Amino acid sequence: MARAWRTAALAAVIAVLLLLLLPYLWIFLTSFKTRLDALADVPVWVFTPTYDHYPEVFINKGYLPLVWNSIIVAVLSTALSLVVGAPAAYVFARFDFTGREDLFFFFLTTRMAPPISVVVPMFLLFTTLGITDKPIAVILAHTTFNLSLVVWMMRGFFNDIPREIDEAAMMDGHSQLGTFLKILIPLAAPGLAATAVLCFILSWNEFLYAFILVAFEGRTLTVGIPGLITPHGTLWGQVAAVAVVATLPILVFTFIVQRHLVRGLTFGAVKG
Amino acid sequence: MIKRRMGAVLDRGLAPLLLIPSVLLLLLILVGPFLYMVWTAFTDLHYALPGRAGSFVGFDNFRRLMREDQIFWHSFLLTLRFVFWVVVVEFTAGFSLALLLFHFIQRRRLFLTLLLVPMMLAPVAVGLIWKLLLQGDFGMVTYYLRWIGIIDTRTALLSDPALVLLTIIFIDVWQWTPFVTLIMLAGLLSLPREPYEAAIMDGARPLQIFRDVTLPLLRPIIALVLLLRGIDAFKEFDKVFILTGGGPGTATELLSVYTYRVNFKDWDLGYGAVCAFMVYLVVLILCAVFYKAVFWHESRAPARKA
Amino acid sequence: MRIDEKRLNKTSSAAVLSAGNGGPGSNTTQEVVMKIKFLPCRSLYNGMARAVTVMLILAITGGPVFAWTLEEAAQPYKGVTIRTIGEALPPLEAMEELKASFEQRTGIKVVIEMYEHSEAVNKVMLDLNSKRGRYDFILQPHRELGRFVANGHVEALEKYLNDPALRDPSFQPENQLYQGLWKEISWYEGKVYGFPFTALTMYMWYRDDLLNDPEEQAGFKAKYGYELKPATTWQEYTDIAEWFTRPDEGFYGTAIQGKRHEALWYEWLNFLYSFGGDMLQVESGSECGPVIVNSPEAIASLEYYKSLMVYSPPDTLNYFWDDVMALMQQGKVYQLIMWNDATYAVAEDAEASTVAGKMGFDLVPQGEGGKIGQVEGWTYLIPSYSKNKEAAYLFIQWMMEAQQQLDQHLNGGATARPDVYAHPDVQKISYSKASMDTNAVALPKPTIPESPQITDILVREISSYLSDQKNAKEALDTAAAEISNLLGDCAPMKYPAAQ
Repeated sequence: MARAWRTAALAAVIAVLLLLLLPYLWIFLTSFKTRLDALADVPVWVFTPTYDHYPEVFINKGYLPLVWNSIIVAVLSTALSLVVGAPAAYVFARFDFTGREDLFFFFLTTRMAPPISVVVPMFLLFTTLGITDKPIAVILAHTTFNLSLVVWMMRGFFNDIPREIDEAAMMDGHSQLGTFLKILIPLAAPGLAATAVLCFILSWNEFLYAFILVAFEGRTLTVGIPGLITPHGTLWGQVAAVAVVATLPILVFTFIVQRHLVRGLTFGAVKG
Repeated sequence: MIKRRMGAVLDRGLAPLLLIPSVLLLLLILVGPFLYMVWTAFTDLHYALPGRAGSFVGFDNFRRLMREDQIFWHSFLLTLRFVFWVVVVEFTAGFSLALLLFHFIQRRRLFLTLLLVPMMLAPVAVGLIWKLLLQGDFGMVTYYLRWIGIIDTRTALLSDPALVLLTIIFIDVWQWTPFVTLIMLAGLLSLPREPYEAAIMDGARPLQIFRDVTLPLLRPIIALVLLLRGIDAFKEFDKVFILTGGGPGTATELLSVYTYRVNFKDWDLGYGAVCAFMVYLVVLILCAVFYKAVFWHESRAPARKA
Repeated sequence: MRIDEKRLNKTSSAAVLSAGNGGPGSNTTQEVVMKIKFLPCRSLYNGMARAVTVMLILAITGGPVFAWTLEEAAQPYKGVTIRTIGEALPPLEAMEELKASFEQRTGIKVVIEMYEHSEAVNKVMLDLNSKRGRYDFILQPHRELGRFVANGHVEALEKYLNDPALRDPSFQPENQLYQGLWKEISWYEGKVYGFPFTALTMYMWYRDDLLNDPEEQAGFKAKYGYELKPATTWQEYTDIAEWFTRPDEGFYGTAIQGKRHEALWYEWLNFLYSFGGDMLQVESGSECGPVIVNSPEAIASLEYYKSLMVYSPPDTLNYFWDDVMALMQQGKVYQLIMWNDATYAVAEDAEASTVAGKMGFDLVPQGEGGKIGQVEGWTYLIPSYSKNKEAAYLFIQWMMEAQQQLDQHLNGGATARPDVYAHPDVQKISYSKASMDTNAVALPKPTIPESPQITDILVREISSYLSDQKNAKEALDTAAAEISNLLGDCAPMKYPAAQ
């Protein structure tokens, strides 16, 4: 009886998984289809693949630098968020001061702010500072949501480290700063890595800030995709090729941090 | 000795030293623009019309929102409907899936990882994928729906005013149900064993245990999932914008899409700021509820252990 | 009398150069002076002064000749980089190819940014309003012109046209462009701000191969009692659409661009104009006037427009130009009303289209409004904040030359130069005649600062009607009221909305 239940459950789960993965599989297949196959009336599952779309869009159409731009923005925004955010998280984890919870809440609200409400003033501010169109503009913009993610996630990771360890380190003659840098950071390294990957993903996927703030030469992959919807026909093969390239690294990263993802997605409220 | 004293001096100012950069950064790049946006809401700033350089107009924009703008309130209600259904369906489906995984499947790692695919994709990519799948002429999903007989050959999901909201909801469900599953599963795994053992001793039936033990224990996590999904659904923009642009008519004109139009089509930035402010206000309220419900107790008590 | 040497020099060369255009060896001094009157002048006095100085110079020197060359004109700007932005369309791609020759001759580098339609518009709005001057010239739809001019974002070109150091004497837009198109696309309140990058219009496309199929002809005649031919009235258009609608074969009589998108508004305008309606009661695009978008003609045109939906594929409310073009390329539609810049990819490009060589083109069918067409231009403009205006002007001027225009046109552009249309290679193109005929009857549309908002209102209301949320009168009444409210006192509603 239990066995039958188990089999049924397995079947159900697999069915749901197929349903969830099918769309992605389809876009993957489409990236290897000729225009005729892609637009066929009856869905084509078996076909002679064409490998033209990838070189066409990334080399001839010059989308390769967009991959690089996406990497630059995501990596630097992540780095900035970690460097600024991790110490703040440490303070939230180890110090008690008036207004701590209010300040913590403030960080949460910055994460939740709808980009649409601040993107225009941000554009004007950055123009005044003379940094629009430079990668730093998007990096800073992405820091608005990544920074609070770092603060929230890392606070949890620091909380997981028993305070006794701090005390022991101080006894050994470390200053508090030294304890943070030399003892706590290495201990929290796995958490730091997971946070970094999540920051990277969020920045990599972001569209609106990147679109408004970045120069043509600095376009990221997400900003480049709509450019393939031309008045002379959406180039589905090429759109699919870009979509695959834009999502594959994310999937790989997801595999890596899957264990810590729950914490990241719930702002540290639930530990995976 | 000197080094140690330096350390002591540093330590005294350590907390502010470590905290201030992050606060300053946020003040500069987010709070600054935000305050400017709030100021704009009280002006007539308009990028397209001459003579609208942003003079102070008091509460005119707010009055317009309250009294004249029916489309805003249409969008507002539409967004609430969208959020309601999205949250209800995603929660039900996601929780069910989590229970299945929890009770019947031991080696879940692979399942979980694959499950994550939809929610990790860039929203822009998700919009395009579904645009391709739902094309009325050659879309793969359209074809099979017609083949099964769910829709007839005269119907296309994104064109049909009666079905389009449902379709958008479905796509969001596709993307975010795994999120609910993931979190709820983590919640289930973190539950203590003792209450269950006690319940079984009392001879409770599985359904009773679920109702009287599991649900109450999971309450904080359920609140968390509902609120996080609610907040994100309320901000939903990318997918809908790519798939329908708010149409047909105003059938999918969610609040964020309407706000985008006022700002980036009409360039009525004064009024657009009011719309953006309203979105922000709702999110802020949800946020505060979220914080109270989920974190308040925890921050006072020792952290729950996984 | 103090003689301004610089002024003297400039004026003299302008006069001589303008003389050089009159035709080789045919100029007398008198003719030259006559021509000078037609040079754009800021004031009568200025013009008189010029004429006098020119006569003096000519009398003294007997007419020296300095030939204007691009190389020389560009000398001061060597090494400069100019940047532009536009919609990723074939004519812009053609410009990307052409620019190398300009760069080589002048040492001016040209950078072109290509974006999707609304992205290109948004980027420019932000750039102009922040006054940062990233772009040295821009390519924008002409409905945006009013808001640019009214806010002082773009520069009138008079001073460049009057500057002999910059003005290529052989460039005579007043003779070389369709005047109506030029005035509509690039002028605002009597001042010139640019030149047409593309002069687009819409006309009727149909499947010529099916039209000439004897079986279809016989069947059609048996059912409707008259010969199958390209539709000239809306009744015929409906009949033909009905005849060719065969959902079982996946073939449809027409395709409506019903998505909530600008495309919807553009398409409906053909119907509105043809039924004798309009949006505002005005003579030119830069005028404000009474709102007539809810006139009985307009309502009739909208109802007729919707009636075609049954002959259009099921996903019709999710189509814009991209989708219907793909349908046409795949041979799934008999007739529709579509853009001339999309024609090449369907009618000529056999690699992308299954119906290349099988297409016919004609004017939009006629109703009360007679023969009509719409102008939709993208125009070259120079932002006031540009740092390299002269270099930008030189490039634009060069692009407007016949050879470059021809290259662009043959690659899917839509020129505003009649001599390009007269070129044998262009004459050979299947849609040239329809394109020219439509250009000749094209009506202006609003370019006032509020016009993009008018478009947005109409798109929303028409979309609401097509998706059964309102009836035609309600939708247009709402639109009229909102437009009137938007425009203020200059735009009362001529047809009161029903309560």
